[in-house]
Amino acid sequence: MQPIESLKLIKQIVIDYFTEAHSARQNGKPVVYVNVLTPVEILYAMDMFPIYPENHAAILGARKMSPDVAPAAEAMGYPIDLCSYARCDFGAIKTGLSPTFGLPKPDLLLVSNCQCGTLAKWFEVVSRHYQVPMVLIDVPHSGEGEPDPAAERYVRSQLEDLVGVTEKITGKTLDEERLKETIRVSQKASELWTRMLMLGANVPAPLTVFDQFVAMFPIVSQRGTQAAVDFYQALVNELEQRVAQGIGAVENERFRLYWDNLPIWPEMRALSTFLSDHGAAVVTSIYTWAWSQLAVGEDDPFRDWTQQYLYQMNLHLNKRIEHYSQLAREFKLNGFLYHSNRSCKYLSQDIPEVRRAVTEETGVPGVIIEADHNDPRLYTLESIQNQIGTFLELISTKKVKAAS
Amino acid sequence: MSVADPWKPFREVMQAPWDHVASWKRQSGRKVMGHLLPDVPEEILHAAGLLPVAIEGGGVQASHAQALIPSYTCNHAMGAMEMGLRGELSVLDGMVIPYVCDTTRNLFHIWNTKFPNMANEFLRMPKRLDYPGVRAYLAAEFSRLFESMAKVSGQAAGIPELGESVLLYNRSRAKLREAYDLHQTNPSAWTADKVQLLIGSSLRAPREEHLKWMDALPWNEKVAGTPVDRIPVYVRGKVWDPPQILDLFDQLGLMIVRDEIVTGWRSIAQDAPLNGDPIAALVERHMATIPYTGYHESPERMVGKFVERVRSSGASGVVFLNPKFCEAAAFDTPDFQKGLEQAQIPSLILETSTRGVSLGQVRIRLEAFREMIGQDLP
Ligand code: SF4
Ligand code: SF4
Repeated sequence: MQPIESLKLIKQIVIDYFTEAHSARQNGKPVVYVNVLTPVEILYAMDMFPIYPENHAAILGARKMSPDVAPAAEAMGYPIDLCSYARCDFGAIKTGLSPTFGLPKPDLLLVSNCQCGTLAKWFEVVSRHYQVPMVLIDVPHSGEGEPDPAAERYVRSQLEDLVGVTEKITGKTLDEERLKETIRVSQKASELWTRMLMLGANVPAPLTVFDQFVAMFPIVSQRGTQAAVDFYQALVNELEQRVAQGIGAVENERFRLYWDNLPIWPEMRALSTFLSDHGAAVVTSIYTWAWSQLAVGEDDPFRDWTQQYLYQMNLHLNKRIEHYSQLAREFKLNGFLYHSNRSCKYLSQDIPEVRRAVTEETGVPGVIIEADHNDPRLYTLESIQNQIGTFLELISTKKVKAAS
Repeated sequence: MSVADPWKPFREVMQAPWDHVASWKRQSGRKVMGHLLPDVPEEILHAAGLLPVAIEGGGVQASHAQALIPSYTCNHAMGAMEMGLRGELSVLDGMVIPYVCDTTRNLFHIWNTKFPNMANEFLRMPKRLDYPGVRAYLAAEFSRLFESMAKVSGQAAGIPELGESVLLYNRSRAKLREAYDLHQTNPSAWTADKVQLLIGSSLRAPREEHLKWMDALPWNEKVAGTPVDRIPVYVRGKVWDPPQILDLFDQLGLMIVRDEIVTGWRSIAQDAPLNGDPIAALVERHMATIPYTGYHESPERMVGKFVERVRSSGASGVVFLNPKFCEAAAFDTPDFQKGLEQAQIPSLILETSTRGVSLGQVRIRLEAFREMIGQDLP
């Protein structure tokens, strides 16, 4: 299998990012903990440094360090039923264990609940721990996505007020030109990211979602920076070449699958190898699509953020079914792997219904895998592999039947 | 209704709420709206001509729902779905589910798919209590709910009707507070179990009738014999789960001085200050109500205000009744407990579960807790 060369750049990108994060404070840059659905472009324009505790927790998971840190959170009284990202974060703060030497102390916490409510509660704990202020961008769920002018006013005014909060902390005034410039860079990264995701629709797929998970770091942590743009440009160029040459990520691609929910970080390598050995390419995932929709326009970014948070990112069952069904067609899928993630109630509770409806709509079957995205104490790799193996056998019989 | 036993109608409602609701529906020819707890303004449903009935999933053993919702879901949501799937809620014409956490958000959508013939409404509660713009948003959302409920009932209802409903519910709450206070002064006659019987049934029966039933209660009854020493406790949690826990408190001599349970003191503590606009009054009531665990304000203040509520209640200890798999409660509890420790107020966490809890276990833990906090008594 020919490895994707550009992915080798990630290691250095991660090192540079955390080095910069740690020196941010010394350079007088306020550090802001954020989640994905926050307008980081404002922070960059204000010379603030955004940090994603989710991302740090994922690194702990991928490095198989969760069992070293999460128990410390549980000993503090946070039950094992809580999101394992949060438990890893609390545990890392408590124990000091972290491959990135932890995260620098924040000056502000900024979070929106249009992703999940968990993050807001998690950040409340962090806010009390560090005695730093927290801003919640409260996004009322949009029901079935129908227009809600009152909610639009509510969300927009919170976003606009955020500027005042950052100005107070930095002592600077928001430079509109800088904001526009950051937005342009952000758009570019987002476009490239989406182009990369779409390349997975090729047969054979030049990359799998496991590659996407590895490639995610800059779009998550560095949206709005040139580093992200440069990386994705190199990646897309290489992948387009692979497509032209018919190079697939999985040798003899037999199955094209979808991954639902977060990755199982501690088992990335094991699962990627297992699937690849079975000729299964996982070509797309809800998780990586999230970052394709985050770009806003320069004209009225506040309007765009509002629309995005209220109507696009605010997942609901029917939208999810529609989206999956569309991907089933576009990516020529023959199976869905639904990760029922104990940690992420937000993305998991409706999976049984999503699976039923998507199969009904597209005829593409799915299997529900009970696991956890960051805590290997809550599943066994063997049982995951058994479930997937059985599912692949089932699809393959179906394929044979269909062909005969 | 038996004159000899003024408590009977309340018990009947709680023992067989659906029989009662069905007969109301038959007699009135009107519609019934279920609402998942907490914070759906019943006044709005009432003013629209509907009978609001609270749906409490806690304490329901789930089996059918397990196929539809993963097991790592709180029993409140799981239990509501279970009741729906068992057909127990077929008397309902619709359901209002409030957005208070990720679980209710998912529940609404699954519910709407499973029960498409019901008029289902998602009440998009704001989470941010410390933001000035929240009042305007909530007022708009309550108005939207009012319009939507009027469509369900097909009854023209406006501000005057809503004002009437607000007054009715204020009257009901005042009476319920009186009962709650009697538990403090006369706990042998007005047991926690009885007080909760009143509050619980008020959430399921027509308020007008319920008020009349309350008038017939023996408000001045005294119990003969030496008053037993009771230890004042404060309870934080979602619902009384397991429901028998109230009886346990009574039996063990623990007196609930205040609680934050959504079917308890929290639901009756605040009136809606009617001063013209009833929607504004409902917004004010919501803002003044003890924040639900999923709501947000300055994190430091959340703890401080909680400890202050406990302190001013005079409680000797706090019991956290945390639903298993409720993220919000689980994130709050350690810091809330720390705040209590600093104020030298002991506390106990009891976790409730979809698979039910052993009452024996709960009893042993409560007994041990009582021993511990009782030592400070003279
Ligand atoms: S894993 Fe799920 S619950 Fe945890 S922070 Fe991410 S979206 Fe929220
Ligand atoms: S806040 Fe907690 S108890 Fe209430 S519905 Fe959500 S998860 Fe369940």
